[in-house]
Amino acid sequence: MSSTSQKHKDFVAEPMGEKTVMALAGIGEVLGKRLEEKGFDKAYVVLGQFLVLKKDEELFREWLKDTCGANTKQQGDCYSCLREWCDSFL
Amino acid sequence: MAQFHEDPALLTKEKLKSELLANNVPLPSADSKKDVYVQLYLKNLTVLNKKNTSAPAPDTFSSDEEMTAPLLSGRSRSGKKATRKTDRVRPVENDISGLTDEELKGQLMKYGVLSGPIVASTRKVYEKKLQQLLEQPPLESSLPEPETTIPEALTIKAGGNQNGNTHSAEEQYSDKEEEVGPVPEPVPVVSKPVRSRGKTPVTVRTSSRQRTKQQVEETATDTEETVDGGDILKEIFPNEPATPTGITVTCRKPIRGAAGRPVKPLSLWSEESLQQQNTYTVTKSSVTDVRSATPAARPRPRRWFAFWLKLLVFIALAASLYYAFQYVTTDQINACQLYVQDNVITPIANYIRWETPAEGGDDK
Repeated sequence: MSSTSQKHKDFVAEPMGEKTVMALAGIGEVLGKRLEEKGFDKAYVVLGQFLVLKKDEELFREWLKDTCGANTKQQGDCYSCLREWCDSFL
Repeated sequence: MAQFHEDPALLTKEKLKSELLANNVPLPSADSKKDVYVQLYLKNLTVLNKKNTSAPAPDTFSSDEEMTAPLLSGRSRSGKKATRKTDRVRPVENDISGLTDEELKGQLMKYGVLSGPIVASTRKVYEKKLQQLLEQPPLESSLPEPETTIPEALTIKAGGNQNGNTHSAEEQYSDKEEEVGPVPEPVPVVSKPVRSRGKTPVTVRTSSRQRTKQQVEETATDTEETVDGGDILKEIFPNEPATPTGITVTCRKPIRGAAGRPVKPLSLWSEESLQQQNTYTVTKSSVTDVRSATPAARPRPRRWFAFWLKLLVFIALAASLYYAFQYVTTDQINACQLYVQDNVITPIANYIRWETPAEGGDDK
């Protein structure tokens, strides 16, 4: 099992509230900027997309790749981050 | 070939190219995607096919069942690589973007993909998915395909774990959502449920990384499910000892300031004992709370009394001072001073004289 980054731990530790997309694990400045341009300016909007895709890993990864050009690792990080958050708070 | 294929998608690119060339159809100059050749093939040849034969055009989904049967036999003839192609005859999907949301959802459903809502933001992803499903047939998901995929699976299964349908092997997981089949591809075509609630153990697996990961996850979710409540409890309260019901209770320390209780302990005599109690409760837990609860109950009514007593004393003091400033005459003050002097100062002076004879005299 891969270890989780500090960013992941921080995100999963509490309700996301109004955190920006940059707070998501795997999403840095560049990707965050791209997501914001597409209208996904807050973490909860990305969460919304994640849920609409029924928390499906492949679809969400695909969507992430299409929307902001995330690579495999970034996709994985973001996906597991959101999934774990949902497990705790949803 | 006497008869042109109804679904050119079944053929390989090379085959399509050669067929097109054989019929004098101009090919694109550069090597294009297969779709292009498929389109050309359909345009030029299938049309001719219609003219030649009186076979009904496969334009409706309902006719798929009839189409797949002759195609099955045709496919085994058409070449080795053809076994890789999908058996689903759906010329309508050549233009996936043209499908409405409903149709797209329906198409995905036929592949056993339980798609979520197809909204503006999800449409593209689902279109891509359908495209993938059309070009490389899946590892069909666990939903039992009603039509003729089963005999097909039997014919292809011998071919091993290629892209062919190992559907019969998958059938045991019929109650689950999408599953990844045994094709070791970097990108799983059919999404796999990370948190699938399937109970049956996963048996058909290759050595793919993702597969083993899913296996681990599945067993994890299985164990999680059975001990669901206990695990969550353990997560939330890692320090508490395990109990048969999973419930532990600690006595709540009486909250000061709530329910009319005084915010600070005012009783003079009980302050010490309270301090002791505080240290106890800080270091230990429920046992001492119980211990402190009972003695605390007794001083509680006392505290009220003590508080009022203190207040009374304070008021009395204030009143006396006021009285002193207002009514007492200077004569009385002098008399008082003398009195104090006589009775208080002189003993002190004597004491000092007794202590240090050298000093002598009183300091007042």
